Amino acid sequence: MSSITEYFSGLFTGIRSLMGGMSVTWKELWTKKVTQQYPENRDTLVISDRFRAELVMPHDENNEHACTSCGICQLNCPNGTINITSEMIETAEGKKKKILSKYSWDLGMCTFCNLCVITCPSDAIKFNNTFENAVFTRSKLIQTLNKEGSKLREKKKETLAPKGE
Amino acid sequence: MLLNYSHPLEISNLTTWLDTTLRSSMPEFWVLFIEFALVIVALLTAYAVIALILIYAERKITAFFQARYGPNRVGKWGLLQSLADMIKILLKEIVKITRSDRFLFFAAPFFMIVASMATFGAIPFGKGLLAVDFNIGVLYVTAVSSVGIIGVLLAGWSSNNKYSMIGAMRSGAQFVSYELSAGFALMTIVVLAGTMQFSELIEGQRYCWNIFNGHISSIIAFVIYLISGHAETNRGPFDLPEAESELTAGYHTEYSGLQFGFYYLAEYLNMFIIASIATTVFLGGFLPIQVQGWDAFNGIMDFIPSYVWFFAKTAVLIFLSLWVRWSFPRLRIDQLLNLEWKYLLPINLVNIVVMVILVLTGLTLKDLFGII
Amino acid sequence: MEKIKELILNTVPDAVIEQKQKLTVTVAWQQLHLLVKTLRDNAELPFDFLVKLIGVDRGEELGVNYLLCSSTDLSKELVLKTGTSDRENPLLYSITDIFETAHFNEREVYALLGIRFINNPDMRKFFLNADWVGYPLRKDYDANPELNPLSFESVEMVDTAPRIMETPDGLVEETVNVFEDDPYIINIGPQHPSTHGVMHFRTALDGEIVKKIDVHSGYIHRGIEKLSENLTYPQILHFTDRLDYLSANINRHGLCMCVEKAAEIEVPERAQYIRTIMDELNRIDSHCLAWACQTNDLGATTAFIYGMREREIILDIFDKTCGGRLIINQNVVGGVMFDIYNQFQKDVKDFVIYMRSKLREYDRFFSHNVIALGRMVKIGNLSKEDAISYAVTGPAGRASGWSCDIRKHIPYALYNQVEFKEIIRTEGDSYARYLNRLDEIEESLHIIEQLIDNIPEGEICAKTKAIIKLPEGEYYSRIEACRGEFGVFIESRGERFPYRLKFRSPSMALVSAMPLICKNEKISDFIGIGGSMDYVIPDIDR
Repeated sequence: MSSITEYFSGLFTGIRSLMGGMSVTWKELWTKKVTQQYPENRDTLVISDRFRAELVMPHDENNEHACTSCGICQLNCPNGTINITSEMIETAEGKKKKILSKYSWDLGMCTFCNLCVITCPSDAIKFNNTFENAVFTRSKLIQTLNKEGSKLREKKKETLAPKGE
Repeated sequence: MLLNYSHPLEISNLTTWLDTTLRSSMPEFWVLFIEFALVIVALLTAYAVIALILIYAERKITAFFQARYGPNRVGKWGLLQSLADMIKILLKEIVKITRSDRFLFFAAPFFMIVASMATFGAIPFGKGLLAVDFNIGVLYVTAVSSVGIIGVLLAGWSSNNKYSMIGAMRSGAQFVSYELSAGFALMTIVVLAGTMQFSELIEGQRYCWNIFNGHISSIIAFVIYLISGHAETNRGPFDLPEAESELTAGYHTEYSGLQFGFYYLAEYLNMFIIASIATTVFLGGFLPIQVQGWDAFNGIMDFIPSYVWFFAKTAVLIFLSLWVRWSFPRLRIDQLLNLEWKYLLPINLVNIVVMVILVLTGLTLKDLFGII
Repeated sequence: MEKIKELILNTVPDAVIEQKQKLTVTVAWQQLHLLVKTLRDNAELPFDFLVKLIGVDRGEELGVNYLLCSSTDLSKELVLKTGTSDRENPLLYSITDIFETAHFNEREVYALLGIRFINNPDMRKFFLNADWVGYPLRKDYDANPELNPLSFESVEMVDTAPRIMETPDGLVEETVNVFEDDPYIINIGPQHPSTHGVMHFRTALDGEIVKKIDVHSGYIHRGIEKLSENLTYPQILHFTDRLDYLSANINRHGLCMCVEKAAEIEVPERAQYIRTIMDELNRIDSHCLAWACQTNDLGATTAFIYGMREREIILDIFDKTCGGRLIINQNVVGGVMFDIYNQFQKDVKDFVIYMRSKLREYDRFFSHNVIALGRMVKIGNLSKEDAISYAVTGPAGRASGWSCDIRKHIPYALYNQVEFKEIIRTEGDSYARYLNRLDEIEESLHIIEQLIDNIPEGEICAKTKAIIKLPEGEYYSRIEACRGEFGVFIESRGERFPYRLKFRSPSMALVSAMPLICKNEKISDFIGIGGSMDYVIPDIDR
C-alpha cells in the first residue's frame, strides 16, 4: 500500500515542482530584457570612469605632457609592454637633460594591471575608458602615446595648470 | 454557391474552382496529374515556410524566456533571420568524413526528411486542405512518422564517431518507448470517436472536442500524447540524443551544410506535426469554436477561415512545447525510460480501459448532454 | 604541539625541528613516509590533511615541502621537509597511499622538477608531455625553444604509465596500462562544451556507464610559477587574477597576505573592509556562475542565462570600483589599489536585496525540480574521509560534512569580526554541493550587510618601500577562495624576486576526486558531477 502512495505522491510532487519551474519562466517572459543593444546605444552607454581600456598620456593645451622619461613604468611593467626611447639634450643653461622622444605602448601585450600608472612619479600616464580599440592588424596595436612635437611641462607651470586632465 | 459566400476566405473555394476549370477542358488523367503536381509543390513550400517561421518563433520566444531579445538585426525585429540562416546553410560546404560509411552517411538525412514529409502530407490543414484522406489516417501518421528513427540510427552508426553512436543508441531507446505511449494515447481517442479517418474525426468534434467529450480520460490521453510526442521530437528536456552539454551534438555531430539542415528542418517540422496531430485529434482540428444552440456566435466564429483556426490551435500547443523545453533540465536515460515504462505506459493502459467503459456506459459528454 | 614534537622525535630521532613561520621538521627522505604515516595515525591530533606538496630546487638538493594540518582544526599546521642530493636520478618515497591528493601533486613535481616518487602507481608527467626536455622549475633549466619545438603533428594518446615500485628484490621500473583491456574510450575534452575549460578526460565507458577516467591536464599551462621567479612581488600579483579567474580578487588577496605577513606590513582597516567586501562579492559572483554552469550542464539553458544576469550586476560594481570586470586588480601589497566610489554602498545594498529575491527564484526554478533532483540526489557521492584524503575543500568539501572553511579556522581580514555560518551538509552528493553554493551566497550577503555601513575612513594602502624585499625564509598563506582553499607558498632568499613561488590550487583537488566519484555513474551524470564540483581549469594549469 505504502509503495502505491509513494508512487502517486511522487508523481504529484513531481508535477508540482515542474509547474513551479514553468511559472518562473512564464514570469520572466514578461520581464524587462537585460540585453544591451550595443552599437545603437553608444550615445547612452555609460562606461565607468575607472574602466581601464587604453593607456594615454594626457597633453595640455600647449601640447605638453608630464613624462620625464624616467623609465619607472617600463621597469615595472610585468611583460614589457612599455618601451621608452629618450635622448639627451643640452638645455640653455648647459645642463644635460633626458627628454622623451617616443613612448610606445603595446595594447596587444598589456594586461591592464595598472602598475605603470600607480608607480609613475609624475602622474604622466593614465588609463581612460575609450574601449573601442579593436583594429585589423596587430602592428596597429603598438601605439605611440606622446604626441608629435610635444614636450615636457615645466615645473613652474605644473603648479598652475590642473594636473593630468 | 451560398456556402461559398458565407466563407469568402476559405482556400477550398480556390481549389474547387481550379478543379472545375481543369475538368471542363481536360481529360481526367491530366487533371489528376496537374493537381498532384500542384499539391506536391504546395506541400513542399509549406514545409519549408513553416519550418522557417518555427525557427524564428522558437528563437524569439526562447530569448524572451531568458530575458534576452533574440534575433533582431536581420530585417525588422529580425524577421529575416531564419531566411538568412537558410541561405547560409544552403551555401555551406558539405564536409566529407573520411572514415565514415559513405553511403549510409548520405542516406540518413533523407530518411529523416522523407518521414516527416510523408506525415506532413497527411495533415488536414483546413476545410478541403487535406491532401489524402485515408480511412486509417491515425494509423498511417503513427506508422510513417516512426521511419525517422532509422535516419537517426543510421546517422549515428555511419558517422564513425563515438559521441554520435551514443546519441543514436539513446535515440533508439527513447523513440521505441515513447512511440508506444503516443500510439496508445491516440488509440484512446479512436475508441472514443469510433474512427481512424481524420475527416470523420474532425467532423465528429463540431460541437464537442474530443478532449472534452471523454473528459478525464481524454485529458489524460492528451497530456500523455503531448509528453510522448515531445519526447519523440527529441527536444528538451528529452533531447538526450543531442544533449549538447554531454555529447556535443549527438547523432548529427558530423553533419554539416545542407545535410545538417535536413535534420534541423525535420526537428522543427516534427514539432509542428506532433502539435497538429494533437490539434486534429483532441482539439477539433480546423473547426472553429462552436456551441450548440448559439447560432449567432457560431456564425461569427465560422467566418474565420478554417486554416486560421488550425494554425492558431497548433501554435498554442507549440508554445506549450517551447515553454516546457526551456524550463526544465534534461533527463538522464534511466529517468527517461522510467517516466515512460513506470508512469506513462501503465497510466495509458488503464486510461484506455476507462475510456472503453465511458463509451460503453454512455458517460461521455455527448451522451450525457445530447450533443451531436 | 609539544606532544607532536615528542612524537616526531620518537619516530624519527634524527629529525630537525625548527620554529619558523610554521613548525618545520626536516627529515631524511627514507624516513619521511614513516613519519607522515605516524602523524596521520596520531589519535590525539591527526595530521590527516595534506594542504600543499611543494617541490623546490634548493640548489644543492632537490626537495619537497609538505604542509600538513589536522582536518579537525585547520590552524594546527606542520611543515615537513625532505630532499635528495641526487640530481641525475632523484627518487623520493611517494605518500600517495596515505593521501590520495599526493598523487597528482607528485606527478606535477615530477614534470616540473624531475623528482620521481617510488610507489606512486602512475608516474606520468602532469601538465607536460612525456617527451618534454628538461625540468622547468629547476634552476639550471635550459629554456632554449629549440629543445622543445612547437609541434603541429598529431600525437597518438598513449595509455600506459611508467612507475617505480619497491619490491623485496629492490626497486622495479615497470609500465602499466591505464585502462583495462579493450576499453570503449571517449575523449571528453580538451574541446568539449562542458569541461569548464581546456581539460581532457579520457573516459572508458561500458554503454552509458563510466568505468574509469584518466585526467590529462596542461593544455593551457602557462608556467606562472616559473615566470614569477623573475618578477618582483607587485608584478607577480597580476598573475593571481589569471589562475582561477572567477575568484580573481580572493587569489590576489592570498598572495598579498603572504607578502604582507613576510614583510610585516600592517594593512589599514579601511583596506581590510574593502578587501573583505570585495572578496565576498567575488564569491557571490563565482557561485552565481557555478550555479549557472551546473544547471547548464544538466541541460537547463534558461537557468544559465539567469545566473549570468545576476552576476553582471556584481561585475558592474567591480567595473566602477576597480576598472576591471573579471580581472579586477584590486588588491596590492599593503592594501587596495582603488578606493570605493561614492555610490558603492548604495549599489551593494541594492544588490543584496535584489540577489535575495533572485535566490528565491533560483530555488523555485531549479532546486526542487523533480528532474534536477533525480540528476543530483545521491549522485557523485564523496565521503568525508575521501574528501579529506583528496583534499577537496570549499563548498564541495563542506558538502561532505568536513568543516574546512579557512575563514572560520584561521580568520584573516575581518572574518573574525563578522558573524556567518559555515554551511555544512553531510550528504556528500551533487545536490549537497549545489545547495551549499546557494546557501553560501546567502551567507556572503549577510557578511556584506554587516560591513557595508561601517567602512571606516582612512588610508586605503599602507606605505610600502619602493622595492619590496622579503627576508630570507619560507612563507605560507591560506585563504578561502570560491572553490576551496587557495594557498600561497613563497621561499625567499632575501631578493626582490621569490626564489620559489607555489600556488595551491583548489580545483586540482576537485579534479583529482572526479575519477573516484564518477566511477560507475552514467555519462550524463559525469557531466553533472563536473558541474557540481565546479573546477576552473586555469587554476590547475598554472
